[in-house]
Amino acid sequence: MKRWWLRPLVRFVAALVLPVAVPFLCVLLLWALPGDPASIICPPESCSGTEELARRWNLDAGPGHYFWSWISGVAQGEWGNSWRLMTGMGVRALVEESVPNTLMLLGLAFIPVVVGSLVAALELVNERVDPVLQVIGAVPGILLALLAAAWQTLTFGPDGERMAGLLLGAAVLGLADGVFSGAVLGTRSLFGSERRQRYVGVAVLRGERIIENTLPNVAPAFIGQLRARGVQLLSGAVVIEVVLRIDGVGDLLWQATLVQDFGLVMPVVTAFALFSSALLLVQAVAEIGVALLVRRSPRVPLGGAA
Amino acid sequence: MARRTALVFATLALGAVVGTGSSLSYNEEVLPSTLNPLYASSMSDFRSQELVFDRLYFHDAINNDLKSRIIQKFEMVDDGRGVKLTLVPGIKWHDGKALSAKDICFTVDAMLDPKTTSPVAEGYRAVLAGCEAQGNQVAKIKFTQVFHNPLERLGFAVLPEAGFTSTAISPDLDFAAHPIGTGPFKGSRGRRAVTFDVFANAHHNPGIAQLRLNDAGDPALQVRSLINNGSQGIIAVPPLLRAELSASDDVTLKTYDLRSWWFIAVNTTKGALKDKRVRQALNLSIDRSELRKLAIGTMQGDQNSPCEFISGPFVQASPYYNRAVPVMERSDLKKAEGLLTSAGLEKVGGTWSQAGQPINLNLGLLAPLNNEAEDLLSQIGNQLTAAGFKRQDQKITDDEWNRRVKTGQAKEYDLVVGKWSFGVVEEVNALFHTRAAGQGKLNIFNYSNPAVDAVLKEYDAARTDKAAQDAYHKLHAMLADELPYLFLWKLDTRSAWRTEVRGNLIAPYYYFTEVDAWKYAK
Repeated sequence: MKRWWLRPLVRFVAALVLPVAVPFLCVLLLWALPGDPASIICPPESCSGTEELARRWNLDAGPGHYFWSWISGVAQGEWGNSWRLMTGMGVRALVEESVPNTLMLLGLAFIPVVVGSLVAALELVNERVDPVLQVIGAVPGILLALLAAAWQTLTFGPDGERMAGLLLGAAVLGLADGVFSGAVLGTRSLFGSERRQRYVGVAVLRGERIIENTLPNVAPAFIGQLRARGVQLLSGAVVIEVVLRIDGVGDLLWQATLVQDFGLVMPVVTAFALFSSALLLVQAVAEIGVALLVRRSPRVPLGGAA
Repeated sequence: MARRTALVFATLALGAVVGTGSSLSYNEEVLPSTLNPLYASSMSDFRSQELVFDRLYFHDAINNDLKSRIIQKFEMVDDGRGVKLTLVPGIKWHDGKALSAKDICFTVDAMLDPKTTSPVAEGYRAVLAGCEAQGNQVAKIKFTQVFHNPLERLGFAVLPEAGFTSTAISPDLDFAAHPIGTGPFKGSRGRRAVTFDVFANAHHNPGIAQLRLNDAGDPALQVRSLINNGSQGIIAVPPLLRAELSASDDVTLKTYDLRSWWFIAVNTTKGALKDKRVRQALNLSIDRSELRKLAIGTMQGDQNSPCEFISGPFVQASPYYNRAVPVMERSDLKKAEGLLTSAGLEKVGGTWSQAGQPINLNLGLLAPLNNEAEDLLSQIGNQLTAAGFKRQDQKITDDEWNRRVKTGQAKEYDLVVGKWSFGVVEEVNALFHTRAAGQGKLNIFNYSNPAVDAVLKEYDAARTDKAAQDAYHKLHAMLADELPYLFLWKLDTRSAWRTEVRGNLIAPYYYFTEVDAWKYAK
């Protein structure tokens, strides 16, 4: 308890490191792939400008050079243009146009998670519905997404309808792959085990409400669970956006990776890392808040009264 | 009186709106990767760019005459090593600036600039030597040598000097997404669609206000969308889906002359395939009629079959096609066995072996072809297995095709199934010439035969159409015997447009060359 600050500190540090470390790892990964964009656009066997193009895109002096050039460019506000996926379109504009869609998708998908968690925390979910929840949780997201895409296409045509796509995507994302059932069952189990603690029984005898006693103690773990769901939603969003043709960063990442559009992959990966960082920061702040609250509470002297 | 005048103006305005039509939506399998003509690599790129730019010279879609919309007159100079071009006056770029001779020279200079990293420009570097603007209206283009068809060599799209900061043009410039051309439409690339807004000009007066190109992916979805009037056109309809569209009164199927033919390229540098007799045996093992039935759904003797067998590297309608070389429709396994035995191969347990090792063929197919001929890869594989060859099948992505197959690096394959498409000029030198000194740039398995190279040189040196035809007839016969490719067929490309779209003449290869005459009214 004395080192209560250690865990939030680690999260702060991780939140700061992620937006740099993830893109760097991504560069190393891209470098390991066969071929590079310069030689795809201008194959050395039939085009004499491959080296020039590689120089222009900083692909000519290893991953370190590329990463450093990219990060310096971003620091100066120069994000560049897409090389291959949407050749010539500004990367910044593409990312800025995609982020709201992904945030909306995640926000909508987070609603069932929050509602499920609250309902479970308030013990409003009967254990008899557990099998139903487990069945819902066992449905793979990709399967539901494909069904949703088929329905969307048949109803709205190949272009779909933006809002319908978002709502369907959010429903799939929020329910499938154990997101909703995990939120309900996990929260209930967390609060249930805390409720069985002796101090809760004493509090009940004193006429106090259970949730007021358990919440401060389970809050860090509860917030941790919500963050884990957030990360799960984030990775699931890539699949959902691709299948339902939602113009978010997940779809952008997928398409750009397929055609090795490094200039586009990098900022999108950074956007994902920033989102993860934001979740870590929220968790760290919440942990600090809870710790301060607990430390402000009157201490019960240990060792018995005189 | 004033009210009547207002009414007349309102009627005229309404007429103008109806006359120019409304937004027309059509589908391609993929969106263009770029709208910069210097970096066109797919048919979708070429078609889209045709809407935005004017090529200096192009072939008329009806009579095949060489024409220009932006050149008023030309004059050959310097004993045929140069041409003086006079521009049509009054043509404007999409940003309102006037087209001038400097723009033509800028385009030539950009293509000649080694820092322009474009394979398209690379092709022109062998043809163009420079350009000199003589005032605003006259440009003198210099050639590297005397050509028998110099104007044919000027099929490039003209770029605006003001749209670039230098002649070094890289692929990722903003111009690739928001180009400025002199064509009938002003293009703009979005994430899921490309929009083309009409731009009336001295030389263009299109009848449609806006075209919208959608990336619809699955061909079956495109067909549903067209029938339900969600879109008004599909550029290429796979043969298996054509019957459904033919049955609709609201849709017309139109032939799109792409001059494309399908082949199986053979790795003539690898193992048993080095032996011509083995390649000939493979050719005899392929039952093209059966393949056509299973993969395309066309039965033997079908009227209006979209599939026409070929025996060489040209479509049958081409003047270069040698009719003396017969097509091979059915397999002849007995004859194939004779050839393989004479090549020293043995059949052990039903499988052909060489020096005790079973022949194992690594077979690849350009993946998008699967949309047109479903399951072709496994059908070919099955026929090879039935003929006694072991095989592995793989689909090759577009990227891998461009990066490794076209550049002669996919040496792990024994056979690859692909398709080449041509414009009016069906030059195949790059496919079969030995890969050296800028020649044979599309030679898939680095096939090399001095006799073939000599014939290709003969074609290059031809100064008349007759001489060019003679050279390619000879080439056709040689390749049908040598078999660096097993030639399959020409598969008709058909577009589908709703009947509300009228006057939609489809030009070979570039498709939208005559788009000015298209009309659309809901």
